[in-house]
Amino acid sequence: MLLGIDVGGTHTDAVALEERGGCMETAASCKVPTDHDDLLGSVTAALREVLRDVDPARAVALNLSTTLSTNAIVEGKVEDVGVLVSAGPGIDPHLFMPCRHFYALDGYVDHRGNEVRALRGGQVREAVEACRKDGVRVFAAVGKFSTRHPRHERVMRNALCAVDGDEPCEAADFVTMGHELGGTLNFPRRVATAYYNCAVWRVFNEFAEAVKRSLDDLGLGHVRVNVLKADGGTMPLAESRRMPVQSIFSGPAASVMGIVALCDIVHDSVILDIGGTTTDIAVFADGAPLVEREGIDIGSLPTLVRALKVRSIGMGGDSAISVLADEVRVGPNRLGPSACHGGERPTLTDALNWVGESEVGDVEASRHALRDYAASHTMPAEVLAGRAVEYASRTIHRETRALVDEINAKPVYTIHELLEGKQVVPRKIYLMGGPAESMRGPLFERFKLSVEVPSDYAVANAIGAALTRTTWDLELFADTERNVMFIPSLSYRENIPSNYGLEQARRDAVNQLSMHLDAMGVKLDKDEAQITHASSFNMVKGFDMVGRNIRVRCQVRPGVTHRMGRV
Amino acid sequence: MLKADKSLGIIFFPAFDWAISPTHPEREERLLYTQDQLREEGIFDIEGIDEYKPSVASVEDVERVHFCFPDVPSVATRSHMVSAGGAIRAAELVMSGEKERAFAMVRPPGHHAMKVVHGSRGFCNINIEAVMLEHIRARHGRKRVAIVDTDCHHGDGTQDVYWHDPDTLFISMHQDGRTLYPGSGFPEELGGPWARGRNLNIPLPPGTSDEGFLAVMERVVMPILEDFGADLVINSAGQDNHFSDPITNMNLSAQGYARMNEMLAPDIAVLEGGYAIQGALPYVNLGLCLAMSGMDYSGVREPDFTPDSVHQEKRITEYIDRLCDVMPELYFNPPAFDGSEKAREGVISAGWFVRHKDIYYDVDNISEAQTEMVRECPDCRGTVRVETRSTNNPLCLGVEVPADACDACRDEGYRILEEAQLKGGFRYIQFINRRDDEVVRHGF
Repeated sequence: MLLGIDVGGTHTDAVALEERGGCMETAASCKVPTDHDDLLGSVTAALREVLRDVDPARAVALNLSTTLSTNAIVEGKVEDVGVLVSAGPGIDPHLFMPCRHFYALDGYVDHRGNEVRALRGGQVREAVEACRKDGVRVFAAVGKFSTRHPRHERVMRNALCAVDGDEPCEAADFVTMGHELGGTLNFPRRVATAYYNCAVWRVFNEFAEAVKRSLDDLGLGHVRVNVLKADGGTMPLAESRRMPVQSIFSGPAASVMGIVALCDIVHDSVILDIGGTTTDIAVFADGAPLVEREGIDIGSLPTLVRALKVRSIGMGGDSAISVLADEVRVGPNRLGPSACHGGERPTLTDALNWVGESEVGDVEASRHALRDYAASHTMPAEVLAGRAVEYASRTIHRETRALVDEINAKPVYTIHELLEGKQVVPRKIYLMGGPAESMRGPLFERFKLSVEVPSDYAVANAIGAALTRTTWDLELFADTERNVMFIPSLSYRENIPSNYGLEQARRDAVNQLSMHLDAMGVKLDKDEAQITHASSFNMVKGFDMVGRNIRVRCQVRPGVTHRMGRV
Repeated sequence: MLKADKSLGIIFFPAFDWAISPTHPEREERLLYTQDQLREEGIFDIEGIDEYKPSVASVEDVERVHFCFPDVPSVATRSHMVSAGGAIRAAELVMSGEKERAFAMVRPPGHHAMKVVHGSRGFCNINIEAVMLEHIRARHGRKRVAIVDTDCHHGDGTQDVYWHDPDTLFISMHQDGRTLYPGSGFPEELGGPWARGRNLNIPLPPGTSDEGFLAVMERVVMPILEDFGADLVINSAGQDNHFSDPITNMNLSAQGYARMNEMLAPDIAVLEGGYAIQGALPYVNLGLCLAMSGMDYSGVREPDFTPDSVHQEKRITEYIDRLCDVMPELYFNPPAFDGSEKAREGVISAGWFVRHKDIYYDVDNISEAQTEMVRECPDCRGTVRVETRSTNNPLCLGVEVPADACDACRDEGYRILEEAQLKGGFRYIQFINRRDDEVVRHGF
């Protein structure tokens, strides 16, 4: 039995899924209100509720999607972090310092990983001392091009931890080294990501501890716990305690994975999750969700956190209808609940009630509110309702088109890619969220594409959470002139012979990926490891080839472990 | 988050699958480290700086500029079409107002490609700046444009393409042609009889550093640009003046390049050469991107930079000083065209300007002999007629009716075409009527 929990803005949803007769089915599900001051309480309440009708002993795994890290960052409830960077030449690092305790140290590693200038011991010690004096206990150590050579970050860590090598940290509670965040090049993002990872580390770890305790109390001590990531994958709880920043913005990912679990998506498609306040738009290419090219932004800083490409627009069931001159608009504001749920101002949901697409709440109240509002703008109520629905579908259509265009305009780097370039052309729309069923018709009219609304769409996000599989990605970098291969996210460095080639690099990348997942207790089918980038460049000095510069990126494609309704 | 002072569009097309040969300086690896550096600096996260996909130039785009023999696909690979398309995309960004400035960081380069093309010269097949510029003019009308070529090699191709165009000011600063390929680019090369002073060459001695380049910018280039009053300023941004470049002998640094670009404030920059792919390009390109977007570039330094790298000998400073005294005169008061029999730059004969050229295509080992003629016309720029033969092609003909052609020059263009088709022994004929946008290809 698999458990899934999605802590949302309004509700915390939980499901228990069970395999019966070769079919994955929902054994129990529930919604409890989310208490933002006590997320643990919400999680525990949802678990208690969902476990009422099933046997806890049968549960093997719990996947949890929580807003904890996101909220901590957005609300500024984070702890002080000491950030030490070695930037070398380029843009002044102070221009993107994320916090007060920021120390730019003299030192320089170049794009091939050569140490051009070493760190100065005295300067490092001074920075460490200054942080200590202010009572800072968690630290980010980030170097420019540390993904090519992490030496400076190691020197900083050792100084912070008061150790010489890889021994456990003595003098600091937690240190994030930039290269552990992955192989992507982007120093400012690396700084921000390492900073956030430290800033939420304590609050996340306390939560993780508490979840563990609650599970023991509920008789679920044996359950494997995974935490959702924004890229539509999960990570084991132990991993999440080291990389809490990866848990930000996992909400939309849970919804998208829910659709994946409920529907068989094979084509280029658009996923629309129409909620109360917003509509989240995600795009699939050949049945696979698209991720942000570099990473997601949080608290005004761009990060390296991989995330599904989701565009959120202010258009939901509770979006208020307004009339400006002769034009009927919906959203982006949300003004209280819909009239059919006791609100005053008519909303999109009320308009949908009127045009006969749905029967939500008190339909008569919807009609009443629309009539009043239409009268005050000397407009027949049916025109107001009709135009409101039309406006909503038009807005969603326009924003979707814009997102697809943006994806198709992304730069490419070879003639082949440019001339044979894959264009995303959506062939199907998948709808979920409260108003999904009632928006089906209007959206079909607009898109002229097949529109599917899966059953169970109300708790699809929790189902998505429950079924999301563990993902991981890594980048391998090899330089045969210097006889070195390096995988930043694993801090794995190996000497290689001069004849090391691209094929070996691809094999090594896949092997390291599965070994790492294995160590986390996740079995990886070799076919699930996907090489997303592989290149090899001859390096020339004078007119002689002196080596090859090899880069390979490898990932477990985001996806679900099971589909609903079959195994 | 950082915000650019001037919005900047970057078209990055490193052509990771195209090279002249595996160990040639112009190869796949060339922009690899630039890409690494720009990514690592987070340049595309700066508000106002965005990366764009290149367009692909069409055959018509190329034929607006060049007479290609036997035809465009034979001399320009797909990579060349994308590279030129990258420059066109940069221009479109600026012309449409989407970005204030744009930098096409593309390869292969183009400034050695002349009006007539039989093959590759100096790693260039088609002139990507010219293809871009004529694309702009075809869409947005006649524009006064200044192209400032800061590549270490003389931009002989661009010079040739715009030799007769009074609307295009071409200034090339480069290492003295007596010491470097292509061996041309001297002050007396001032443009055709009706475009005198619109072509300026500033040959600099080997060993010129930041100091010398900036002096030339300040005392020669900027006053002339101000006087010319261009609608658009384009930087042919070759980066092989760098002190670490393996095929040249200059001492410019990334700081010097950035400062030059800042002074020039080009609307569009197009990458040309630059072959110190590890030690220079990443830093020079970063410096240019920051300078173009009006951001602070003072922190950009090469790993092997020392004050010695930009040291300039006293005698060089003195030489450049004298050069700066005399160069502006060539623009403000160009000596009259000497069309007499013994003039090397061509003669005027029976109402036509005529000159003979022998051109060597070093990459493809092709020799070409051509006769270029331009009709002397009081009302327009005059129809152009080029006869050319090379070791690759038998006798061919190119005829161009300029965009501003008068009726007489247009009719003359068609007369030449007709006559050539009827009785000329030309293997291929390319005719372009820029005035009415008509292209005729004959003999294919």
